[in-house]
Amino acid sequence: MDKISNKYAVVGVGEYERSRKSGTTPLQMALVAARNALQDAGLEASDIDGIMNYSTGGDSCTSHEVATYLGARPKYVKDISGGGSSTEMLIGDAIGMIDAGLLNTVLIYRSMNGASGQLVGRGYDPNMLQNALPGGSFIIPYGSASPSQWFGIFATRHMHQTGLTKEHLGQVCIDFYEHAQRNPKAHLNGKTLTMEEYLNTPDISSPFNIHDCCLELDEANAIIVTSADRAKDCKSRPVYIMGITPRETHPHAHYWSDLDQVAADHVAPALYQSAGVKPEDIQVAAIYDCFSWVVLRQLEAYGLAPRGEVGDFVAAGNLKMGGKLPTNTAGGMLAEGYTHGMNNVLEIVRQLRHEYKGSDRQVEDCEIGICTGWSGPDLAGAMILGN
Amino acid sequence: MTIQTKYEKPIPLKNEDNRPYWDAADRHELEVQKCNDCKSYLHPPGPACPKCGSAAVEWENLGSDIKATLSSYVISYRPFLPGFQNDLPTIIAQAALDDKPDVRILCNLLECKPEDVKIGMPVQMTWQDITEERALPQWKPTD
Ligand SMILES: [Zn+2]
Repeated sequence: MDKISNKYAVVGVGEYERSRKSGTTPLQMALVAARNALQDAGLEASDIDGIMNYSTGGDSCTSHEVATYLGARPKYVKDISGGGSSTEMLIGDAIGMIDAGLLNTVLIYRSMNGASGQLVGRGYDPNMLQNALPGGSFIIPYGSASPSQWFGIFATRHMHQTGLTKEHLGQVCIDFYEHAQRNPKAHLNGKTLTMEEYLNTPDISSPFNIHDCCLELDEANAIIVTSADRAKDCKSRPVYIMGITPRETHPHAHYWSDLDQVAADHVAPALYQSAGVKPEDIQVAAIYDCFSWVVLRQLEAYGLAPRGEVGDFVAAGNLKMGGKLPTNTAGGMLAEGYTHGMNNVLEIVRQLRHEYKGSDRQVEDCEIGICTGWSGPDLAGAMILGN
Repeated sequence: MTIQTKYEKPIPLKNEDNRPYWDAADRHELEVQKCNDCKSYLHPPGPACPKCGSAAVEWENLGSDIKATLSSYVISYRPFLPGFQNDLPTIIAQAALDDKPDVRILCNLLECKPEDVKIGMPVQMTWQDITEERALPQWKPTD
């Protein structure tokens, strides 16, 4: 086990209501999410001495602004450009700084008007994209500028190699939509999905149709991380970080040069070693789900389903509540909301606290959960949490 | 192939890392990068070898008769960039060169119906003249 194992904990989580039109700014939403996380932890703003956030193309507000209007006076603020796996990376950074004695308690947030404001991957100048993306001149002239297309190329090959079918992708969507029906805060609460409806929906980028793609919403999430010692003084039940691999990379910056490997493949060995557990010990999962297929590929990468048999694993109902590995139990990014992975972390924390005890949302007696981040095939991070 | 007078799609931008590739494309030839230290062929090209880090990379001209095998594809039913709205669905396909399978190149697959695309199908490179000076490598099914 790693030297940081179980020495740090998530003590507070909070969010701002999800919608297609917030009618307010990312700063306002971030403040509400942060205050909710503070209240959840039973902490005051003055207890926070580090604030970190990630944004995509300036779609958020700065940590310094949040500190100011929260009434905190942190020693340290950090704003990074990021997306998937940035939650895990910033939690790793926070742990490192607390471990070094530089900070005590860190607030991490993600706030974006992802539906009504600036949209990810739309409205960019093609020449800017050619320069900004690694190997941009080799994809942009071919009309390839959307993650749905990039991941579609990976998915097609993976399906060819392993016999995964469109029905297997659909099963992921159907299971997560079903979980959203148990979660009043899920954006798609009230909207169910059958296999027939799924298969009758035309593709956007094969093999993906609209149900395979995450929701783009206006929302904010916040997390508070501190040491296990300080966690004892908090109001909430601490959820300990058993192990973490904050971020790993694909070997090649032009990751589409090799469609057979993804960064998540490189995360798992170090992750399980740091946590001192095996894949079969995991009882509840939050798997980054910007697209249905990335869930299947990650279940293989993290050893949660055997390579080549993940389709059977999913078809057997293992991702459902009551299944072998209940996954994205709040609906995930396909059906609850999308803040580049942070909402999935909130859910794992709440499951491990047994916050839903007595309702059909609680994964009974779960003690160990995994949370993964995926920033495309190029970057990945993950952590294992325990109560 | 006819020269189009008005090309609305993005045109490949040449820079220090990719210029020989696109210059060769304009002449309807394929040039790929090779590492003199570990002897790998590299694509997309870059400032050094991604396998061993060596800066001793050079270019090799593979000529105009390029045969390859399709390794994966996506069929795009929505335009995500200007110019693509008129030829949907667009097939974006990666193929591995038959002589140098490490080199896998992403192009559109032309002259092929979406229902006929298959991983493993033989393809060959063709060059689409997009302006008077520029040409874009593309795949088409082998005759
Ligand atoms: Zn080399």
